[in-house]
Amino acid sequence: MDCKKAQRLFDDLAHERLVPETAAHVRRHLAECTDCRVLEQRGARLQRLLALKRYERPAPEYFDNFHSEFHSRLLAEAQHTGWWEQALGRIENLLAIGSLRMWRYSVASAVGVAAVVGLMWTSVRPSGDFASQAAADPSLVAEETMLPPPHSTPSAIAASLTGLSRVSSSDYQPSTAGSVVLVPTPTRADSPAPRYVLDRIAVTPASYEVASVHF
Amino acid sequence: MKLKESFKLGGRFLRRTDAPAPVGSPALEHEIDLQHEDDETLVRRTQKGESAAFDVLVGRYKERLYATVYHMTANHEDANDLVQDTFIKAFKSLRSFRGQSSFYTWVYRIAVNRTINFIKRRKNRNQYSLDDVDSSIQNDPDLVELMSHVTPRREAGLAELHQKLNEALQQLSEPHRAVVTMHDIQGMTHADIARVIKCSEGTVRSRLFYARQQLQGLLSDYL
Repeated sequence: MDCKKAQRLFDDLAHERLVPETAAHVRRHLAECTDCRVLEQRGARLQRLLALKRYERPAPEYFDNFHSEFHSRLLAEAQHTGWWEQALGRIENLLAIGSLRMWRYSVASAVGVAAVVGLMWTSVRPSGDFASQAAADPSLVAEETMLPPPHSTPSAIAASLTGLSRVSSSDYQPSTAGSVVLVPTPTRADSPAPRYVLDRIAVTPASYEVASVHF
Repeated sequence: MKLKESFKLGGRFLRRTDAPAPVGSPALEHEIDLQHEDDETLVRRTQKGESAAFDVLVGRYKERLYATVYHMTANHEDANDLVQDTFIKAFKSLRSFRGQSSFYTWVYRIAVNRTINFIKRRKNRNQYSLDDVDSSIQNDPDLVELMSHVTPRREAGLAELHQKLNEALQQLSEPHRAVVTMHDIQGMTHADIARVIKCSEGTVRSRLFYARQQLQGLLSDYL
């Protein structure tokens, strides 16, 4: 047995918590190693010294008023408890009821999931302003819902605009804002399907060529 | 005159009686009955709203908790406040106590944690109160042996010895001080300490080992 291992077992040896074989090993080591023997004696002496602190205790009558002080402080705490603490206490008490105790984590998880779903729902639903505008002007809804997906290919766009060939020039109305514009046509108000025209695709050809550099 | 108070805390009504119940009264017999109940039963009865059961628990453990907190703080007033705080916290949290450990371990854990936090906050304000040493210490064989080997450097009296012991303990880090207090002064086992501070027995042994090494250096005059 080496010194380090023996030193860690001195305490157990003093309190007779070692199995006989291990205790014998430690004692044998102590008989052979002077350094460890000195260390063990100093450790035992330190423990006896610390044990003297048990005598530092107040007189028995010191605790005479302990209960009344405890109740006074408890009363004071109760009077200064905020409404939120009382609410939390009630919730805690509710969850601590025997029948709910088993389900408290399930209930907490369900509340958490509901909160996340609620947040997601409120973030994806249309804003109030848009909804009110849509109520006033249904064309906005049509514009929003009938726009082709942003990543559609030109062929896909063309395929989706099946009625394009039937649009005459009178349907055309120049637009200055967007590339795809829904044109409300009073003359075709009775037409069941909305009509679209591709006004102009405002795509400026981009050049990725490096500008010529002159040295 | 019997003073009665009734107040609400954490959704529960607490009723107390300051004056002792008259001899032979049902209330007194009830209190005596409670004294014989085990901790588990008392906790259950407190959870059902019987505050007298908690009073019995307070009476049962206040001195042991006080001793531990006092040896960590070395101040009687602080110890008294902290033990009161501990029982108030325990009372308020008793509904959430699920009995996974014993009540004593649980309340001990509250006391040790609160004391460690208090010491961290106090840090530079050490006020020892050493005027309460039990006179029976004079008959302790260890003290007799210590005093009989007084050298010129060990002329300190009993009060100075306790002063030195407290100063040395205050030099330790809070976790080390807690472990030394519980093991070497209170006589708790490694397993009990591990349960209180929620760590492994190996950690307790390790802390004890290093704390003692430090204490041996600090108290070398007495060793």
